[in-house]
Amino acid sequence: MVLGTHVLFAQSTIQGRVTGTKGESIPGVNIYIKGTYDGTSSDKEGGFQFNTEETGEQTLVFQFIGYQLLEMKVVLLGTTLEVKPILKEGINQLTAVTISAGAMEASDEKKAVVLRPIDIVTIPGSMGDIVGALQTLPGTATVGNDGRLFVRGGDASETAIFIDGLKVANAYGTTANNVPTRTRFSPNLFKGSFFSTGGYSAEYGQALSSALALNTMDNPIRDQGDLSVMSVGFGYTQTLVREKSSLTATANYLDLAPYQTLIQQNFDWERAPFGLDAEISLRQRLGEQGLLKAYVHTESAGMKIWQAAPGEHDRGNLIHQRNRYTYAQTSFKQIGKNDWSYYGGVSLSNNRDRLLLDQLDLEVRNGLVHGKMVAVKDFTEKFSLKSGLEVFYHNYGEDFRSEGQSRSFKDYQTNVFTEADYYLSSKMVFRGGLRAAHSSLADEGWIDPRISLAYKVRQEEQLSLAVGRFNQMPIEELRVVKPELVNSSADHLILNYLRTKNGRMVRAEAFYKNYKDLLLYTGNQYSYSDIKQNGGGYSRGIDFFYRDRTTIKNTDFWITYSFVDSRRHYATFTDKVQPSYAPRHNGSVVVKHYISTLQSQLGVSFSANDGYTYHDPNFLGQMNSKTKSYQDLGIGWSYLPRPNLIIHFACSNLLGRKNTFGYQFSGEANAAGYHESLPIGQGAPRFLFLGIFLTLSKDKSANQLNNL
Amino acid sequence: MKKYGLLFVLLTLISMLGSASNEVYKEAMQREIVQLWQAATVSELQSAANAFTRISSLNPEEWLPPYYVAVAYAQMGFRSDESITVKDGYFSQAKEHIKKAARLSENNSEIIAVEGFIIMGELSLDPGARGQNLSPLAMQALGRAMELEPENPRAMIMMAQMELGTAQFFGQSPEKACRLAKISRDRFAKEASEVGKDSIYPTWGSVMAEQMTGSCP
Repeated sequence: MVLGTHVLFAQSTIQGRVTGTKGESIPGVNIYIKGTYDGTSSDKEGGFQFNTEETGEQTLVFQFIGYQLLEMKVVLLGTTLEVKPILKEGINQLTAVTISAGAMEASDEKKAVVLRPIDIVTIPGSMGDIVGALQTLPGTATVGNDGRLFVRGGDASETAIFIDGLKVANAYGTTANNVPTRTRFSPNLFKGSFFSTGGYSAEYGQALSSALALNTMDNPIRDQGDLSVMSVGFGYTQTLVREKSSLTATANYLDLAPYQTLIQQNFDWERAPFGLDAEISLRQRLGEQGLLKAYVHTESAGMKIWQAAPGEHDRGNLIHQRNRYTYAQTSFKQIGKNDWSYYGGVSLSNNRDRLLLDQLDLEVRNGLVHGKMVAVKDFTEKFSLKSGLEVFYHNYGEDFRSEGQSRSFKDYQTNVFTEADYYLSSKMVFRGGLRAAHSSLADEGWIDPRISLAYKVRQEEQLSLAVGRFNQMPIEELRVVKPELVNSSADHLILNYLRTKNGRMVRAEAFYKNYKDLLLYTGNQYSYSDIKQNGGGYSRGIDFFYRDRTTIKNTDFWITYSFVDSRRHYATFTDKVQPSYAPRHNGSVVVKHYISTLQSQLGVSFSANDGYTYHDPNFLGQMNSKTKSYQDLGIGWSYLPRPNLIIHFACSNLLGRKNTFGYQFSGEANAAGYHESLPIGQGAPRFLFLGIFLTLSKDKSANQLNNL
Repeated sequence: MKKYGLLFVLLTLISMLGSASNEVYKEAMQREIVQLWQAATVSELQSAANAFTRISSLNPEEWLPPYYVAVAYAQMGFRSDESITVKDGYFSQAKEHIKKAARLSENNSEIIAVEGFIIMGELSLDPGARGQNLSPLAMQALGRAMELEPENPRAMIMMAQMELGTAQFFGQSPEKACRLAKISRDRFAKEASEVGKDSIYPTWGSVMAEQMTGSCP
């Protein structure tokens, strides 16, 4: 202290104005002398001034979110120092542009996602099916006699479905011709999804039109039991949560028989569809940020249906379907050192169908193993690289038990992909990817290049462009007949406009898709012949999506319109035609309104298209006719009397409109030279759904409160 | 002996330097905590957040500086009148800093309460869309904070606010939530009488309790 009195405290003043590269003021910048408490923040005009007792050579630091850190060497002499810091823009992950061409992202716990599990359950027309809910999004078509996902003029096989990044084979339940199916997986499993209607990342292969990536829940937060009782069955889920791991076990029984005895059906059921499924899901944290998941789903289902033939007056053929299905997977993600991160896993799909029809006794086996390993490296905040290796083992067989014949194939596919993201600025991002693969069965190698670009016009508006090539092997039923078949391909070009602001979203997208090497054949399923691969075609169009959660209080609504112009030379056609599954005009409106006095959410959905094309052999030409417009008005009512109880009621096609999806014609003309026909319609005029969902838990926080 | 003498001098010097730097830290914290609670605008809160960030970089082992950075950013999120994206940005900054605090001090009721507070902020930006996902997460964090420190009045008033929101959504009586708010108000009063004014440990939040009990029947 004695010494201290003799030291002269030389006070310096540091002042200036912080600007960006274009001279704009930057307020709120943290300014300080490195290693000291001396510092301040810039004001509204970017100006700042502070005093320090430090002397000599020092480092002045300027720090602000969204800008690169600036360090400036200064010499303090006890006088006033004027500095002119200029900050360069960095990449602000939160507000930076993202690639939105083709993509409908629905993820992240916090973000207002496009479709959450609760949306899927409460969209009246969806009947709790993921795909049913996705059909209210742009780029999709409702094909009521099929039930699968049809994207932009592509057939259902052109959409690949992934769970936690791993491929799922036979994701839809097995069904008979013209009897709609559903996704096998419950929407409650997933925290979010990524649905792409084209131009997607090089990470996804073997899909000509679309990729649907479903992500399972990471961490349930408490022990609970969920009981569901529905008009079509019942189920129970138990969740157990430990500090670093959790387990969920589910069992569901579905049987449409009781419902169908109550409500008149158009389909002639001998045994209504029934099914039993069980699921187990395990999650284990790995260190601070890693996660390991394992999931098994297994089910057994069946049905018996009489299907009449056109021109005949009896019940027709009895079709007996039995299905056994198992899907198992394990996946992990981990964050490594030096900005590396990793994810990957292995999945196994095993499907066994038994079909008894007339004299035919057929067993179809389909097995798929998918292994995947991906590494991502963030070199700088502007540049990252993702690379991966994937292997597929495909084993398919058809056993004609009635004839004592069988045929099968095995295929090994090796795929590598790499994809670079480069941010030119916070406003512009470029993504370039390559996917290379080889199939052992086809003995074919191929490369898919993909490029996308996004530019942020304004804070809440952006434009994206995506171009790419997509290859896909033909369906198994054809490959087993002709193993040397190679890929069909589609080239995509997509232009996307997206505007999101305060709960309103406007999305417009124009696309062009060019198909090559589509399959041509004669005959029907399991009896294909004359298989050739010189078909082709195109699909082009535009779609609009508007979602608004703010304009009307307690109301969430979205409006979708998709125009598709698709012409393709495929299947049994000898020329380019508009496929039956690609209506030109498609639209839907979904409105959900919450009434707190009734503790209820009311939902209305309406979807329509301009009709399905079909081929009428009584007239000249191919695909020469079109059905009447398809329209479906659905309503739903969800009542939440308590936080842990939901009672949900829904009715599809409230007006009972007789929707027709096409016509079946007799193969041979009758005596009058006329091919007789039967309409392909709905299973019932309306579908009624009533469900009671009860959650049982001992919530610790709730308990504590009750004890007060 | 000579050796020990030198060691003694060294130790004394180190402890003197240590306590001196500790004093500087404490003074800086006290000064900035006053600034934080006087801040009326987003830019004043930004200055407070910056100041705590500076203190944190000099005292990387202390959990209180990043804790207050997080509180300042959370307040920015609540007070800002900018777009949802910007407000989300503040909450995400808050999250980053509270995680840092949580790494320095595990199972800390105050830190976990602020984690819950930040989730409440994110939820408030779009209750309709985010409620389903975020309200159980907020309740879980606050419940855990109360479990660790049953006397923590901040965790309690935040929980009371969540309870009130849930009761309103389901058309139930706010009685339970109000009872909790009143208990928290009493604990705030107790805390104020026990803890010195210049404590650098969290003592904030009584305004929330006053407001809520004021509007309770």
